[in-house]
Amino acid sequence: MKRKVSFAIAAAMTMSLAGGAVPALADDSVSITIFNSKSEIQSQLEEKAAEYSAETGVDIEVYYSSDTVAAHLATRYASGDPYTISMVDAKDVYSLAEEYAVDLSDEDWVNDTEYEIAIDGVVYGFPVCVEARGIIYNADAIEAITGETFDPSQYTTLDAFTELLETLVAGGMETPVGIMKEDWSLGAHFLAEIYEQQEDVEAFITALQEGTADLINNEKFNSLMDTFDVLMQYNYAAGSAIAAEREITEMMLAEGEIAFMFGGNWDWSVLNAYDYTENMGMMPVPQNTEDGTNEMLVGGGSKYFFIDSSDNTSEEQVQAAKDFLNWLVYDEDGQSFLVNDCALVPAYSNITLDVADPLGQSVKEYADAGLLIDNYNYLPDDHYSLLGAAFQKYLAGKLDREGFAAEIESYWTTAEVVEH
Amino acid sequence: MKKNTTSYKVSQFLMFAGPAAVLFIAVVLVPFVYGLYLTFTSWDGVSKTKPFVGLANYLAAFSDSAYWAALGRTAVYTVIAVVLVNVVAFLLAYLVTSGIKGQNFFRAGFFIPNLIGGIVLGYVWKFVFNRALVSLGNSLSIGVLSTSWLATTGGAMLCLIIVSVWQYAGYMMLIYVAGFMSVSKSLMEAAQIDGCTKSQAMKNVTIPLMRSSFVQCIFLTLTRCFMVYDVNLSLTNGEPFNSSVLAAMHVYNQAFTYKNYGTGQAEALILFVICAIVGVTQVYVGKKGEVAA
Repeated sequence: MKRKVSFAIAAAMTMSLAGGAVPALADDSVSITIFNSKSEIQSQLEEKAAEYSAETGVDIEVYYSSDTVAAHLATRYASGDPYTISMVDAKDVYSLAEEYAVDLSDEDWVNDTEYEIAIDGVVYGFPVCVEARGIIYNADAIEAITGETFDPSQYTTLDAFTELLETLVAGGMETPVGIMKEDWSLGAHFLAEIYEQQEDVEAFITALQEGTADLINNEKFNSLMDTFDVLMQYNYAAGSAIAAEREITEMMLAEGEIAFMFGGNWDWSVLNAYDYTENMGMMPVPQNTEDGTNEMLVGGGSKYFFIDSSDNTSEEQVQAAKDFLNWLVYDEDGQSFLVNDCALVPAYSNITLDVADPLGQSVKEYADAGLLIDNYNYLPDDHYSLLGAAFQKYLAGKLDREGFAAEIESYWTTAEVVEH
Repeated sequence: MKKNTTSYKVSQFLMFAGPAAVLFIAVVLVPFVYGLYLTFTSWDGVSKTKPFVGLANYLAAFSDSAYWAALGRTAVYTVIAVVLVNVVAFLLAYLVTSGIKGQNFFRAGFFIPNLIGGIVLGYVWKFVFNRALVSLGNSLSIGVLSTSWLATTGGAMLCLIIVSVWQYAGYMMLIYVAGFMSVSKSLMEAAQIDGCTKSQAMKNVTIPLMRSSFVQCIFLTLTRCFMVYDVNLSLTNGEPFNSSVLAAMHVYNQAFTYKNYGTGQAEALILFVICAIVGVTQVYVGKKGEVAA
């Protein structure tokens, strides 16, 4: 008897260890899951999902993870529990879509955007927003010294820009520039412009891989590095550029202690945490060039939704997911959610709402005027880290321009771009 | 009831060790074997297919110079940190067993850093190194402090070591305290009667008898330092210019950031083997010379 009791107890304990999951009660309503990889819109998305559920009866659950997107999705796929809709970066669409994404070519919104991602003519990626890179300026800080209204189109050349910096210095702002030392900012954003502003990007990348690009004599490389040198010269953290913290730099920019910083409209989510002015905006990176690139921002679609096509997602769920995407683009509530609640720059021409933040407004102006240079979305995954490190050495003065060019060239001899 | 039949033994084992064994197999053995299998594939971490590539990942790992640089850095970091942690811990333990006033308070105080998670610790110290020390250096015009140590290659490693010592010394101190307490008073008195000075007694009686504490502490610090990731991530994140990337961080980046899952897994395995060899050797050598009173 004793033995039986002890067995029963042991068995019960084992069960309690193994158990835990209670099967969900089945009901008729469709429920879908959304993976969000944009932390700054998580609370808005959760709120809106609840409202959407109440209205349409489609139950939406929103998840967020700060993990690397691909690594996080990998675990979900490995456990047979993928999200119905996943928000990923462009390159993830290229690596995931053919195996895991639903064909969205027949959706209406495809005709209203230029930023969708298609592979071999099949649309897989729904662009969530438009983001672009350039120089962020604080017009209040500049106007306080110059006494004139700041017009960024006056300063597209490096000469004019340097002159302005000199004026600012003479007017009491000793170091008008901030530089983000983060490897993604240097490697994936500034360095990438050197590729993206080439006349023929694909040919240039191929040349780099073949070792024939002759970077140190490349016009674009030198013109952008000249600009970077000027930024370095007027950097508020010049002596310890590598120790500059992003938050401090953005705080100084928001509060007008410095006037310029290379960045993108996503920086608004950091800037608006401080005592900011609305009188800010984005301008192209000034260069002494006549090819027009100094009148354009670099950017395009950013963050893409794809819908899971595996057996784990039923047809009803796929349909509900498609409906949700359509709602975002065509329903007034959906549009207002994207533009007003999340302060995103819409990627759809039918959305005419005014963008909420000043950086986004600049980006929309350039995008509407067709003045965006396309992102190059196919950089290898280790590019930002390895060449970002090399760029940091340049920023710290431990590497000269020849040395930097040599590191870039040696990296590319073995690097492979994302298939596209 | 027969107590030596196989079925009896099996059922006894299952009853007492079964749950633990199941968990151990599920969360240690199975992933380990599966991970071993993945080192022979060129899986990218998410794709459905896992193409078999033989030993290519190991070749890639052996020719990955950044990996070996990170391993070398880890070795240097480990040696310095292990020595410092144990010296500091030993001195602290000596201090708080010597009967000073409020020694229980000090014991608790020195132990507290160990209760703070590595990530939080990293951010706190980042603030100290980047802001507190720098503004102190600027206002008192101390040249060494006026720029952030985290911005220089040697400085970042130094910061990692300082933080590790601060974090682990308290924990190791507890083990040494236990060691000190286990040395019986009568032996110390005997040594003193024989004419030992305090330092002679320490060297010839106390330390040999505490050998097992040393073995434990060195083993714990060795393995922890070899595998450190959290402090590395939050304090330096590999910066400046990837010069403070330690082995575990390189492995993570290789597998998940650069999406070379197989290569990363192979590198992790090499790290495991090195760590296991070092740890086991250290314990073996340490245990061999253990003495009993």
